[in-house]
Amino acid sequence: MTVSRRAWLKTLLQGIGVGLVVGPRFPTVDAAYGSEGSLGTGPLTVRVTRPFDAETPVREFTSWLTPNERFFVRSHFGPPAAETVQSDAWRLTVKGLVKEGLSVSLKDLQQFEAVTLTAVLQCSGNGRAHHRPKVPGVQWERGAVGNAQWTGVRLRDVLQQAGVKPQGLHVQFQGADRPVLATVPLFTRSIPLAKALHPDTLLAYEMNGRPLPLLHGAPLRVITPGWMAESCMKWLTEITVRADETPGYYMQQAYRIPETAVQPTSGLPGSAMVPVEQMLVKSLIAAPAEGDTVRKGPVTIQGVAWAGDVAVTQVEVSCDDGRTWEPARFVGEEQPYAWRQWQYIWNAKSVGPTAILCRATDARGERQPVTSPWNPGGFLWSGWDRLTVTVAA
Amino acid sequence: MSMRPTSSRVVLASLKPSTDIPRPSRTLGRGGLAWRALSPFTIVLLVILVAVAITAAQEEERTAVEPAVARKAATLILARCAVCHTTDLISQQRLPRDRWTATVEKMVHWGADLSKDEAALLVQYLSARNHPGAPDQLPSIENELAMAQPAREQGVATDGPLTGVAAKGAGLYAHNCQACHGEGAAGGAGPKLARNRILKNEGAFWETVLHGRGPMPAWGAVLSHQEIADIHAWLASR
Repeated sequence: MTVSRRAWLKTLLQGIGVGLVVGPRFPTVDAAYGSEGSLGTGPLTVRVTRPFDAETPVREFTSWLTPNERFFVRSHFGPPAAETVQSDAWRLTVKGLVKEGLSVSLKDLQQFEAVTLTAVLQCSGNGRAHHRPKVPGVQWERGAVGNAQWTGVRLRDVLQQAGVKPQGLHVQFQGADRPVLATVPLFTRSIPLAKALHPDTLLAYEMNGRPLPLLHGAPLRVITPGWMAESCMKWLTEITVRADETPGYYMQQAYRIPETAVQPTSGLPGSAMVPVEQMLVKSLIAAPAEGDTVRKGPVTIQGVAWAGDVAVTQVEVSCDDGRTWEPARFVGEEQPYAWRQWQYIWNAKSVGPTAILCRATDARGERQPVTSPWNPGGFLWSGWDRLTVTVAA
Repeated sequence: MSMRPTSSRVVLASLKPSTDIPRPSRTLGRGGLAWRALSPFTIVLLVILVAVAITAAQEEERTAVEPAVARKAATLILARCAVCHTTDLISQQRLPRDRWTATVEKMVHWGADLSKDEAALLVQYLSARNHPGAPDQLPSIENELAMAQPAREQGVATDGPLTGVAAKGAGLYAHNCQACHGEGAAGGAGPKLARNRILKNEGAFWETVLHGRGPMPAWGAVLSHQEIADIHAWLASR
């Protein structure tokens, strides 16, 4: 066939209509937000355009709940096509070491008792950018975390209906998302049976009182309160009870940390690697922001702190680069698994740049370290939070 | 004063004649410092620092890649890596050579369509560009390629009809398009192209292939116009 290049240049404008001609099967960010409004990516800091990975600017954490459209987004392959997870087409299958396999619709599932809880969801790589030497992966800074209200049913109730056989010790999750190339391993994960049977482990269909948005796992995702987000499978379609931990890359190689501290080398870890599970105690300064100018006199410093499935017992603030620390005051709601808001009134006296730091302590007695132990995956960063403001006269 | 400008030139310097190694006077001038205002100790310290900077710059010059290699590597990244993820994921990494080698090996193991030589070329390019000492901000790989290029894009100015050869298009399609658009153009992660109406809308077809659209990367730097016409001819014959 013959193509005149001048001809195609002349008809370039027609390209605007291309979307209608081809019919996009790639879900777009706009489409993913759909009913959430056309906020798009504006409020988020995009780390990777495709698959879409974006973090929440920490100023958002002055509120207790993180809104759905400002909640961090992370997946390995991006969301599945919207039509495959629409409630009439979607089914959840329960199989493996169970007495009776199940295949249920969302409506069937909603016959189980509904449970609502508020929990922090945090990417294991949150803070990866702070590790030295640097490690490969999405360079998350401070905002791959959020606090939301989740409504769903207990995974325990669903497993009890199917009947877990005595050999069943691990519960495997598979979502509907797929890699572009069939040669890339699927994102398949498992959690130990004890966590799966915990009464607070949910199959959630609502986030902050709204149906789960596509980017956050519509129509159903796992919520393992107190554990990091790679256990919280999105777009859930299959639950398989197994005798062993799920094989494959995303369980056996990725999302693992050395059991004991290792030297920061780029080679082998030199320690047994164990799966990332529980959250560590951590705190963030939400306001003021990095680089802000504040007035001499009283300055309100506020933020959040969380420690997974135990309570945060203390948050301390330092306004002299860590030489002295003062306790912050807790404010607002206190709920298991949710983060705690805190406030500290700083009397800023000396004009010029000042570092503000915060650190939290939990009910286990664990306190945030200056920096986290280096690990080859760059997981579980929980070092002191730190920013610099300028005090103006 | 900052040491950073020396290393920020690693790849850019390699694409242009490399006269960019800062000299002491220039570096100090940039910092707005006057020699007579400095103590002898400070001057000695500054001279040492500048000497270190120059050594580091020379070291990086040696590891920097040739412009032609950089062009080829950036082109490969757009064609082979951006199938699954955008180049921003690559650009934000700061890794030593052994980690780049492991990363590229992992991607090849997972199906990235790279020959041994191409994989080695990518490791060479990425180790020189995205090493642990590289500055926080680097131009995007797309921008770098646009600056270094484009021998092929210049062809746009020349006129005259292109005749696509369907027989050639089959292989080009399998190598470049099939991962997303499926075997026999039947669709996959990307839309079905066999008998797709876009084939009759030349403007839309060329615009999409050359510049990308939504999640589809731009192929303008990867495929020649003749190759695109060949693919079009093959698709039209389906």
